[in-house]
Amino acid sequence: MTTANAIFALGTLISWVGWIMGATALFTIFKLTFDNVGLDSKRNMRSLMISGLIAGLSLLATAILPMHAATKDATGFRVPLVWFVMPYSAWLGVYCLFMGAYRSVQAFLGIDKDDRIERMKSCGIWLLVTVAFVWLYRGDPANKITILTGGLWLVPQTMFAIVFLAAAGMAAMVIAGRSTKTRGYAKTIVTQAALLAGSVVFGLPFAFLVITSFKEDKDMSSPNGIVWIPKVQQTVPYFDKKKPLYEGQFQGETVQGTPIETNPDGSIKIDIIKPMAIRGTTFVAAKAALKEVPRDIPIVSGKTNGIEFEGKVIEEMDDGHRRVAFLKPASLAGKEQVFAPAEVENVRHVGLRFQNYTDAIQFLPPETHSGLVYLKNTLILVVMSVLGTILSSSIVAYAFSRMRFPGREAMFAVLLSTMMLPAAVTLLPQFLIFRTLGWIDTLYPLWVPAFFASAFNVFLLRQFFKGIPMELEDAAKIDGCTYLKTFWSVMLPQIKPALAVIAVWTFMGAWNNFMGPLIYVNSPENMPLSYALQLFQGDRTNEPGLLMAFATLCIVPVLAVFFFAQRYFIEGVTLSGLGGR
Amino acid sequence: MKSPRIALALVSALFLLPAFSAAQAQKKRDLVVWGVSLGPETKGTEAIIRKFARRHPDINVRVLSMGAGTMNPQKLMTSIVGNVAPDVIAQDRFSVSDWASRGAFQPLDDLIARDSGKDPLCPRKEQYYPEVWKEASYGGKVYGIPTGADNRILYYNKAIFREKADLLRAAGLDPDRAPRTWSELLKYGKVLTEVDKNTGQFKSVGFLPNFGNAWLYMYAFQNNAVFMGDRDGISGRVCTMDTPEAEQALKFIVDGYDQIGGYEKCKEFESGFLSNENDPFVLGKVAMKIDGDWILNALSRYGPALEIGVAPPPIPDDRYNHTGRFANEKETYVTWVGGFCYAVPRGARNMQDGWEYIKFATSTEGRMIENTAQKKWEQLRGRAFIPRQQGSMEANEALFKAFKPADPKFAAALRQHIDLMPHGKIRPVTFVGQTLWDNHVKAMESACYHKLSPKEALLAAQNVVQRDLDAYFNKANYPIINLSIPLYVGLGIGFIVLATLVVLFLRHRMGNLERTEAWWAYLFVSPWLIGFLLLVIGPMVASLFFSFTQYDVLNEARWVGFKNYQDLGGADWNNVSKGLGNAVFLAALTVPMSLAVGLAIALLLNQATKGMRFYRTFFYMPAIVPGVASAVLWTWVLTPDPNKGLLNAAWLKIVTPLLGLNPPGWVQSADWSKNALVVMSMWAAGSGMILWLAGLKGISSTLYEAASIDGANPRQTFWSITFPQLSPIIFFNAVMGFIGAMQEFDRIYIMKPSSDGPVGPDDSLLTPVYLLFNNGFAYFKMGYSSAIAWLIFGIILVLTFTQFKLAPRWVHYESDK
Repeated sequence: MTTANAIFALGTLISWVGWIMGATALFTIFKLTFDNVGLDSKRNMRSLMISGLIAGLSLLATAILPMHAATKDATGFRVPLVWFVMPYSAWLGVYCLFMGAYRSVQAFLGIDKDDRIERMKSCGIWLLVTVAFVWLYRGDPANKITILTGGLWLVPQTMFAIVFLAAAGMAAMVIAGRSTKTRGYAKTIVTQAALLAGSVVFGLPFAFLVITSFKEDKDMSSPNGIVWIPKVQQTVPYFDKKKPLYEGQFQGETVQGTPIETNPDGSIKIDIIKPMAIRGTTFVAAKAALKEVPRDIPIVSGKTNGIEFEGKVIEEMDDGHRRVAFLKPASLAGKEQVFAPAEVENVRHVGLRFQNYTDAIQFLPPETHSGLVYLKNTLILVVMSVLGTILSSSIVAYAFSRMRFPGREAMFAVLLSTMMLPAAVTLLPQFLIFRTLGWIDTLYPLWVPAFFASAFNVFLLRQFFKGIPMELEDAAKIDGCTYLKTFWSVMLPQIKPALAVIAVWTFMGAWNNFMGPLIYVNSPENMPLSYALQLFQGDRTNEPGLLMAFATLCIVPVLAVFFFAQRYFIEGVTLSGLGGR
Repeated sequence: MKSPRIALALVSALFLLPAFSAAQAQKKRDLVVWGVSLGPETKGTEAIIRKFARRHPDINVRVLSMGAGTMNPQKLMTSIVGNVAPDVIAQDRFSVSDWASRGAFQPLDDLIARDSGKDPLCPRKEQYYPEVWKEASYGGKVYGIPTGADNRILYYNKAIFREKADLLRAAGLDPDRAPRTWSELLKYGKVLTEVDKNTGQFKSVGFLPNFGNAWLYMYAFQNNAVFMGDRDGISGRVCTMDTPEAEQALKFIVDGYDQIGGYEKCKEFESGFLSNENDPFVLGKVAMKIDGDWILNALSRYGPALEIGVAPPPIPDDRYNHTGRFANEKETYVTWVGGFCYAVPRGARNMQDGWEYIKFATSTEGRMIENTAQKKWEQLRGRAFIPRQQGSMEANEALFKAFKPADPKFAAALRQHIDLMPHGKIRPVTFVGQTLWDNHVKAMESACYHKLSPKEALLAAQNVVQRDLDAYFNKANYPIINLSIPLYVGLGIGFIVLATLVVLFLRHRMGNLERTEAWWAYLFVSPWLIGFLLLVIGPMVASLFFSFTQYDVLNEARWVGFKNYQDLGGADWNNVSKGLGNAVFLAALTVPMSLAVGLAIALLLNQATKGMRFYRTFFYMPAIVPGVASAVLWTWVLTPDPNKGLLNAAWLKIVTPLLGLNPPGWVQSADWSKNALVVMSMWAAGSGMILWLAGLKGISSTLYEAASIDGANPRQTFWSITFPQLSPIIFFNAVMGFIGAMQEFDRIYIMKPSSDGPVGPDDSLLTPVYLLFNNGFAYFKMGYSSAIAWLIFGIILVLTFTQFKLAPRWVHYESDK
């Protein structure tokens, strides 16, 4: 066993050399692709060759070594790897220790005294940090380091395929490197491929969202992974003689339902099936007011007496059995038979289940008019917030940047300092203030504060106002404009791009606002979309199709705005990120 | 200025909408009912409401779920405080005493006395199981009328018992019956657990103490543990979690996990499954579980062929044998009963109609209507129906008679539940019910994870609860404080500010022109100034003031001095440090990683000649998806079940075969929940990309030219030019990232797996703002939550100052010349 272990250890070492060399080779490939290295390229090419060769050889060596003697399973090649499983604090400690050692070596090799001192200092700091992390690590008794030996199992075919692919890739790179023109193409291809791969990764959750919103319940969970191609049940229209489906008017809505009983006067009591929100409600209507409509019944397939058939389910029984009227083959057509649930299978074809969307909307409380009220509330919130922010912030910023008045500097300093104030501090008292005003369960607490200018926007707009030449304003004053007029007609148009950016931010903030509605809004008719979606999620945890449909409906308007105002969104990020400058 | 005009037109149009709807308002009286969900599982409740509406055509019943089932305490609280409370609320019974003690619910005794004997629907005390009735009362008054009730029994899979009969017999156990005592339960559990020899993973598990629904409460009740005790003649004055009885129960739970490989491994096993058709019990992966009657319908639907057996939940050996402490004990089997009730919050505007509704819904007639409708609904979909248990004995028997399941095994299960009802114990009726519950869960988790010994865990939980008890009972020690004081202080500050301005203005010698300019300027600045005084300075003073008080908003405030701040660093330090630690963790991973991902994409995009605009749009898109929608989406993407969750489906196909690592439990696992948020943030790294792109473009090309003339290699160029030039972005983002992580709230609120108890498994998702929210709105500690707010503010201040002080050392600003 000792020999086997020795071979295992050797193999581990060689495999690590192999991996590292492989990584070097890959790195060199990237370097050759992306950098204008020119003079260096020969050297790089050589290093690529060498590292690639070593990588291939050592990986091959580990694959050939009889390493499996030390392990249980012997199918394929096992490329051994050692995993250190430890907490982040330990990893950081190791990293800092390494950096400390690295700096001390550097200090030893330093050119002059200053250099050495500088590096010793840095070494000291790294070691101090190491101590801190070790302390952190030791602080939690649950922390432990586990060393796991594991491995990559490769069958010979995959192994060789990898080697060949690597060789082919290198060769392609060499050829590509020969001529600058083809190299340009190679670069483009690599870049585009990487970007496409990235787009797929970033797009997958979106695709998942949209596709799930069109799936039937039975496709939500599948042992073979995610179902990407939605299928829908195939149906045929059918007039049921025993249990007809009627369409009629109930409280101004068109409803469908089945009759429960016929009264002596000929009127019929109807049990509503559609729309979902009032399903199960009954009402009485005159026969004349009702229209019989076909119901969509599912098509199933199965086998009876060894004959494969297709048929429509004309009755779903209480115990799960289904009465099927045969459609195909012709020899059976017109006959009926009862099957147990397991004997027949639903016939489904590739398609989208739009019913998820209609169902989702029908499940919303009736007072929200199919969710339109949510949209209205969100729009009120967005429009008022944007309007308020732009008007108030710009006029305040104008005063701070272009007008002189006593206390300006002091007030501006105070304004700047409020930028740091977290909303959490004022959360509760503001709630109490709005309660005194009787504004709980209204939208006012969510948009009225926008009219009082936010510090950050004022700060930003002030910078923009400062960039406008004085001459413009002076000209306006000479023409006899009042301050308000100057501001409105001369200055404001000058900062339109900045205003657009602020508008876009405020739009996003208002559309996303969740904690506000969570605290202030209680009844459905005052709810904005964000909070409605969260409540919807709570009620529909077992119906992902409906949930995803509603989520899609909430996202689409934002994406639409984004496509039209893309430029401002992107400028906005840039401004916010550099705001600290 | 075309666009503002359009916007104005739009706004006015929008404001007309409510005017129209108000014009056609109905004359019916509104009755607002909260906490009832209207989904496929609660068609019966819908039927009750419809029937009620038909009997009372003048009442318009409006139902709202508000997070159904687990009534969101914050919603209820803000509505009561804001005078827009609902008229009726479906409330978990154990928390009724929390609300009642603070005067947030109205006692129903007068109404019961008025109607009893006159109205056949009026609830009668003797109709209900005594414990169930007691749970919805507080201080001798009735605050809620019970609806459903749920107790726990042992379910076991007879097929597994038969399959492993030889193994069981070899261990001296009887394969034909269920375990009766704790020690038997452990033995059965160990024998029935099967481990895959190659992977070390569970093939199937015998018994997991808290899989299903048992918690520490049930085992503790069985061992006669009492969580609340008396002192000085006041009942419920002390918390007695740290007793030998409770410790034994907790030790039993820990042993149950340890004997088959530990809590973490078991949790990992559990998180691979979900409910319904993926319930491991239905799949035959778990042999025994303790659960409530709510699983019966799912079992009949998804595992009709499952050979289930039922038995009372196993009890301590001494109790079964009537030896030791239990020598004189009369009751043998004991379980835990919970459930819901209807209550009336303070400030309900339509109490009379609300009472009519409660009477109707809780009556046996109402219960029958509910179950009949639900049965009809299930039948329409070809499914069997099993009635739910009720808090009323009368209703329970009536329902069993009317809806006895056809399948004898389900009938036996339902009968077992009903027969055990009189032996159901309730959670302590105390005004700290929520705190007690949350901390009992925390104690259980930290003992199971072996972070603390059972005794230490219980003691820690007891201390937290006791602190709240002391604060409540000792409140007479603290003076009541007039809440208008902060108002006066705020007004005073406002006056001083205004006075200073006036003085400044007067002392300034100005010409006419300047004076006009100053007037206009003050006018222009006034929106900010007013907002600052009303919405910033005023609230800041008030918040600072609250942080020195004990205040639950519903009652008067009491001045406690620095106590809240002492608690921050002392008694509550565990939670505070956990919250800060989580924020540091989140920031430490999210900020560098999203910057790195952003940089990678930005470098690629800088290379791309074609399609740059398209890719930029595409990568940026996730960053603008509304937060709530993206949290909803990611809840599904991160579902641990690889049959449903996008990420784990991919993990199972790619990572597992390569590295042999099992898919993680993401938000359902204490170790992975924060990583789940980090992964989610990576998706939105597009905003980082834009920053980098802008930064990269902003670097003057002359710098690079100079470098290439000097013969710098690409690495040197990066470290000497690119990095210093981009350092402001990096630094700014690091600080903003931490500030953001401390205030992380929305997505955790939406994504955390359980609606109460710890925030994420083992509190792994608790952030400082979440801590503030919980203390303020779930535990009624507004004063303490204000202190947390000031802690957050303090940290942000320190960080910002450090940023300004330290930044020049390594951050390169172009303007520093």
